[in-house]
Amino acid sequence: MNVAPATTRAQWRVVDIVVASVIAVASGVIFWAWNAGYGIVSLAFVAFPPGTALLSGLWLFPAVLGALIIRKPGAALYCELLAAIISALLGSQWGLGVLISGVIQGLGAEVIFVAFRYRRWNLPVALLAGFMTGIFGGIGEAYLMGYVAEYTEAMKLFHVFATGISGLIIAGLLTWLATRALAKTGALGALTSRSAHLESPWGRV
Amino acid sequence: MSTTSAAHTAERTSGRGLEILASDFGWHHAEREVPALHGLNVQIPAGQKVLLLGASGAGKSTLLHALAGVLEADERQIATGVLKIHQQDAFARKFPVGLMQQDPETQIVQSRVGDDVAFGAENLGIAPEVIRARIPQVLKEVGLGDLDLAHRTQELSGGQKQRLALAGILAMNPGLMLLDEPTANIDPAGIEPLRDAVLAAANTTGATLIVVEHRLQAWAKHVDRVLVLAPGGGIVHDLDPQALFDDEKIRRELAASGIWVPGFVPVTEPVGTSAGAQLLTAVELQASRGIHAERTQPVNLELHASRALVVLGENGAGKSTLALTLGGLLEPASGTLEVSPQLSQGQGNDPFSWRAGMLVARIGTVFQEPEHQFVTQSVREELAFAPTRARLAGSQQDQFDSQAVERRVEELLERLGLTALADANPFTLSGGEKRRLSVATVLAASPDVLILDEPTFGQDANTWLELATILIEELRSGTSVVAVTHDADFARALEASALHLTREADNAGRRIAVQGPMLDAPLGRSWLTKINPLAKLGAVAAATLPLISTIDGVSACVIIGATLLALPLAGLSVGRFLRRSWPLIIAGALAAWGIALVGEDSGATLISLGILSISEGSVNAGIATGLRAMALAVPTVLLLSSTNPSDLGGALAQQLKVPHRFVLGALAGMRLLGLLVEEFTTLTLARRARGVGDLRSPIQRVKAKLGQVLALLVQALRRAGRLAVTMEAKGFGTGTRTWVRSATFTLRDAAVLTVGILLGSAAIGAALWAGTFNLVWT
Repeated sequence: MNVAPATTRAQWRVVDIVVASVIAVASGVIFWAWNAGYGIVSLAFVAFPPGTALLSGLWLFPAVLGALIIRKPGAALYCELLAAIISALLGSQWGLGVLISGVIQGLGAEVIFVAFRYRRWNLPVALLAGFMTGIFGGIGEAYLMGYVAEYTEAMKLFHVFATGISGLIIAGLLTWLATRALAKTGALGALTSRSAHLESPWGRV
Repeated sequence: MSTTSAAHTAERTSGRGLEILASDFGWHHAEREVPALHGLNVQIPAGQKVLLLGASGAGKSTLLHALAGVLEADERQIATGVLKIHQQDAFARKFPVGLMQQDPETQIVQSRVGDDVAFGAENLGIAPEVIRARIPQVLKEVGLGDLDLAHRTQELSGGQKQRLALAGILAMNPGLMLLDEPTANIDPAGIEPLRDAVLAAANTTGATLIVVEHRLQAWAKHVDRVLVLAPGGGIVHDLDPQALFDDEKIRRELAASGIWVPGFVPVTEPVGTSAGAQLLTAVELQASRGIHAERTQPVNLELHASRALVVLGENGAGKSTLALTLGGLLEPASGTLEVSPQLSQGQGNDPFSWRAGMLVARIGTVFQEPEHQFVTQSVREELAFAPTRARLAGSQQDQFDSQAVERRVEELLERLGLTALADANPFTLSGGEKRRLSVATVLAASPDVLILDEPTFGQDANTWLELATILIEELRSGTSVVAVTHDADFARALEASALHLTREADNAGRRIAVQGPMLDAPLGRSWLTKINPLAKLGAVAAATLPLISTIDGVSACVIIGATLLALPLAGLSVGRFLRRSWPLIIAGALAAWGIALVGEDSGATLISLGILSISEGSVNAGIATGLRAMALAVPTVLLLSSTNPSDLGGALAQQLKVPHRFVLGALAGMRLLGLLVEEFTTLTLARRARGVGDLRSPIQRVKAKLGQVLALLVQALRRAGRLAVTMEAKGFGTGTRTWVRSATFTLRDAAVLTVGILLGSAAIGAALWAGTFNLVWT
């Protein structure tokens, strides 16, 4: 009877691809809504521009959210890159550089999930992934893309660390909480993360 | 097992219906306690038209999904017994099968009409020239023959979207068509054209047809057979359609399970009260969603206690917009809206200016989609939410003390039969339960005026009766009720007076569309639109990305200058260019300021601000950084204003061999962008109507925004799930696909790419020549 092939844990099903894509698109909507308010928030940092790095976790969350929900290899990279593509298509202040940033940030989260062999999706792993996506992103901006190349060295280090902390909280903690809240609504029914809310924060699964 | 295109092409030509045979078939979803289907035995001959009925939870959708081949058995969910299509295992997907679900938004996959019709056929590997010939033919069959193939699918009405989905199904030439409540989410005016298109298609192709519906009026006379499914019990009735009209026992039984048998209206008690005090008055009121949006015609009305008013009118007349304005959620565009002193208690008579806590206790609004208004994690908290936030007029004093809140919650749980579900997550309730809960959550704060947007839309007869009963009770206890509805029976049950809204004629220069980002805006006919998207992308990348290596004004100015010179090629005037690119320019200026302030200081100090200072050196570095940021950003405007993302995706998949499943999945998701933006805006209003927004501390504000983001994600995931089913049913990802739009790369494309590369080199060369080249990685 059952002739449909059993998909392995690593394979992406159609529903995984579509859900990951829509998460990235919804992230694009959140960026858009955030951008409207971001100008005002960043004006608050006019006196100390490196402070804006503390808010940059907002651009990092699709990577971790996508991975926690889809739980497949490449989900972090795919969601972050697609969110970056959508930013670019809507007109990004970083031009096509946003695509490079998207890849760097996505890889930051991806290295953590691969280090746990795509078997751990708990709170510490989420926090680490959020932190690392920020560190990768911060290093990319300060040392590779040169967006803040003219900062003093101390400011550059502050930039990298602040982006990491921002990633830890927004991309790590908040996405982990969001995944559990989403699982409770039943909206993850078709996905491997469907019972994320029942898992222990520190647990093995 | 992936199906081969050859099998499809062979079977396609047979042009007849497929026979279905189920023998002791069952299906158990992962993590459900009971199987969705159990012991199903039925034989449906080829070409038969079947109406499939059953109470909610009877497994109708599961059966359709199994036949469409979108259920996947694994270690957690299992199939039992046999389900065969034309003597082949249904799960092997040997034949194309068409599936249409109820949400029109997710029955469409692509952003252009022609592409969407082709999508399923392309997935089946049908030859492009065959599909190209079929597209106009099937569009004509479903009554959309007048549409341009490049028309944006997002701009179609719900009924048109469903007919477009049908065209896409017909292009696959299926021998079996499955329709899961196809008319539940479309306006009454769209129902008959859709039904006629479905029946005509079934008649011409000879395909077997299975329709699941709970409003039978439109279908009962046009099907050959009626099957009634019972939860866990297989087929309980196998009827001649005439029985739906003649057999009183069957009619009663079906009506009791919530099915709208033809001509049936649930019996309600009369309201029987006289009009009370005047609560709200509108004079020459015009409603609109924003300054540039269309306005409704001017409206004069009075709302009285114990009286109901229904707002009727064609699509696009602005009924919902008017309801939102009456509900104090949108600012009136013109005219006046005044509440009586009894309601305002000296707090200003314009409800739009009220705080949310004041609003929920006076004017309650129930949105069309219940999930938009859920703000907590359990039914009990949901009911307690508004009364806890309700404030007395002009003060921050609670209207209900905690005991009163508790009493109200218990009373509402009881009255709505939700006591057993008090601790359940609101999002996990059934459709009817969600509808009742969403009404109850608004009633919980005892508003004097209750406004409902399409409360009976898509509801079964049982939920309809419960809603009507609740509202009649509210009218008797002195509430004023306003309902936007198409449902004449509902209006009669509430003994409502009617307001007919027609489309405002004087809307020159205004648009219906809500403003927001758009990915697939129409492009016009500039020279650059004809260039291969990859060539343009490559050219912009080659021109801008080398600038990352250096921070200097010279290389940046070369690229900015070249962009300005190329504007005519993209059909952009300087004005239109500036309108598109001003945020990018401002961002560049901000970057310049940041560097000037915290960059390495050198030369004379111009301003000193504590530990930070602005010096000649840091100002120069700031200017170079700002110019570089602009030079990286502005050339993309040329690309974006001349490129449709679908074409870029097609070229990526066909020419760069990027996996097509991911490219098309991304494009399908991107089609939902506009919809999600609209949904985010609606959520802001829906949540204010629940009392969110009356916030004092920044932490409460942040929490409220996070809640809204979560609500958006829930809606996004729901759409994604349905979209994935649509795409799977259309054979997405099963084998080699064909492409109706084939990407080409001509000499002209190569020239564009070359110019990009030359520009990038010229920019760096100019900086080296001028001696300003300033390597980043040192």
